[in-house]
Amino acid sequence: MGGDPEMGLLPVLAGGTMEPMSRAALLPPVLLGLVILLLAQMAGLAVSALLGLPIPGVVLGLLLIVLLGVLRPTRAVVRAAEPAATPLLQHLQLLFVPPGVGILLELRTLAENALPLALAVGGSFVLALLISGLLLQTLLRRQDRRRGGADDQERATA
Amino acid sequence: MSALYELPVFGLALTLGVYLASHGMYHRLGRPGLLSPVLVCVVVIASVLQLTGMPYSLYLEQVALLTLLLGPATVALALPLLRHGKALLSSAPAVIAALVAGGVVSIGATVGAMVAFGADDALLRAALPRSVTSPVGLTIAEILQASVPMAVVLTLISGVLGAVVGPALLSLVRVRDERARGFAIGLTSHGIGTSRVLGESAVSGGWSSAAMVLNALAMTVTLPVVAHLVTG
Repeated sequence: MGGDPEMGLLPVLAGGTMEPMSRAALLPPVLLGLVILLLAQMAGLAVSALLGLPIPGVVLGLLLIVLLGVLRPTRAVVRAAEPAATPLLQHLQLLFVPPGVGILLELRTLAENALPLALAVGGSFVLALLISGLLLQTLLRRQDRRRGGADDQERATA
Repeated sequence: MSALYELPVFGLALTLGVYLASHGMYHRLGRPGLLSPVLVCVVVIASVLQLTGMPYSLYLEQVALLTLLLGPATVALALPLLRHGKALLSSAPAVIAALVAGGVVSIGATVGAMVAFGADDALLRAALPRSVTSPVGLTIAEILQASVPMAVVLTLISGVLGAVVGPALLSLVRVRDERARGFAIGLTSHGIGTSRVLGESAVSGGWSSAAMVLNALAMTVTLPVVAHLVTG
């Protein structure tokens, strides 16, 4: 932390074997990752606004990162985003505390509609959970049976 | 009292402090769904605001930093999909069928219950994104012009429900396949449920987080159309 950061990193560079990534490796990983995520978000927001798409910009940003991760030459970009992405996802819940606290202003609406809300949330939760779980299990079992043993091994390592 | 909460750092210090405490408690007590850190934080901080008379708008201003991080956190959801997507891709037809069936049932039951009780349109729109992981659900709520706090709280309740009773319900109907269990939980109770099934098995956790992101993508496209059809 203290002292000149470049001095601290120079020995790494001198003895390092990182050829093409050496410059990126000099950057603080969390900040570099955050910048990548922010740039993807900006690109998504810009495309969504410019083309007037009904899909929110952040979701386009998400899809952009998926695309970068699938294509071989750009995969390194996604790997570089990881040091910021991992803590953000680990503590994702923290980010919903502020909007969640806003329910204070709507406690009356919540209380007055408690029954329909409970049925809507509880009912749709239980039905969707059981139906998707049962359906997927049935289909996966049928698929496993059709593909036979070779595929089982592949799945075990996946 | 107002001298304290008018300090510009009060909101952030309070939020992070309560989060750290509830996070520690959650892990020490073996991850009980009801003590999900976000739930504890919302209750504690809302109580502090009530007791001190701090206006919500002021609190929101002080924690703008957290709100700002929501964007990159949403984009970061691409990583779990990339990591676990390969396993799901090899079973694409089954996964798509389960995704569609789950989505249709979920939307149908929500709309059905709300319309049957004559709840107003604004509330129906806030209830629609309840199965979607919060960062995307929040954006959907904004697009639907629904109340964001209401949508976030309903989503949170869904997540806690999934963590508390989800695995038991699945066992009850004999869904034992790790992949199907994870997928169903991720589809209905997003991150909070995923955190719970990760404790069950890594396969379930992977399928759960991939299902959560797939569901968010599908709902982003579907819900505005549904809201338009139902509430005009």
